[in-house]
Amino acid sequence: MSDSKKKILEMLAKGKISADDAYRLLSAVDESERDDETPPVEPAAKGKGKYLRVNVIPDPDSPNSEHADRVNVRVPLSLVRAGIKLTSLIPTDARDKINDSLKEKGINFDVNNVKNEDIEELIGALGDLEVDVVSGHGEKIKVFVE
Amino acid sequence: MKWPPMWIRLKINNERTRFGIWLPLFLLWPVVLVLLLALSPLILIAILAFWPSGWGRLAWAVLRSLGSIICALRGLRVDVASAGRNETVYISVV
Repeated sequence: MSDSKKKILEMLAKGKISADDAYRLLSAVDESERDDETPPVEPAAKGKGKYLRVNVIPDPDSPNSEHADRVNVRVPLSLVRAGIKLTSLIPTDARDKINDSLKEKGINFDVNNVKNEDIEELIGALGDLEVDVVSGHGEKIKVFVE
Repeated sequence: MKWPPMWIRLKINNERTRFGIWLPLFLLWPVVLVLLLALSPLILIAILAFWPSGWGRLAWAVLRSLGSIICALRGLRVDVASAGRNETVYISVV
């Protein structure tokens, strides 16, 4: 028996608290002890994901869910990595054009500065990615790494 | 070492067709390997000849990237089902 429970019973015996109060306090102590025993949930290790998942499922709460498509795509992160590395094969002229187009759209990003270390960091950071969107067309869109 | 994919599973279902096939890619790789070995002297000469202009380096990088992309395809899965029209497409690379 824990010290808290003993104290509650002593208080009850001395008439300091009623039987109802004692019952309520004992229940609260039981609950807190159960919470302490529950092992903490470990967050997913960063960079341990293997696949990028894109799921589109009908939203059951939406009236348009009957017209929603279902998509389930699993892309290996190694394929994403290989794809990003392909940027090094883009000719310089084309890279400049890409940079100009990005700037026109307000994205200040230089494709020439993409380095191998950056790619690894980017792929590692994808582990924390989680996108959850409910569209107006009765679809739920989820993007995550598993 | 990463191995190239061994199978591709393809399934297409719609109102008119029900089609599913396992494509044995592992039968293709020995043929590709033999072809590459047979053509490697020519490829090497072409790469060296075009190296000064920069195209040789690009061709070499493309060949290497192609290999890594093919190997990275393992585990890819695409499953699409259209609403209302009863159409599904399933592609899985194993």
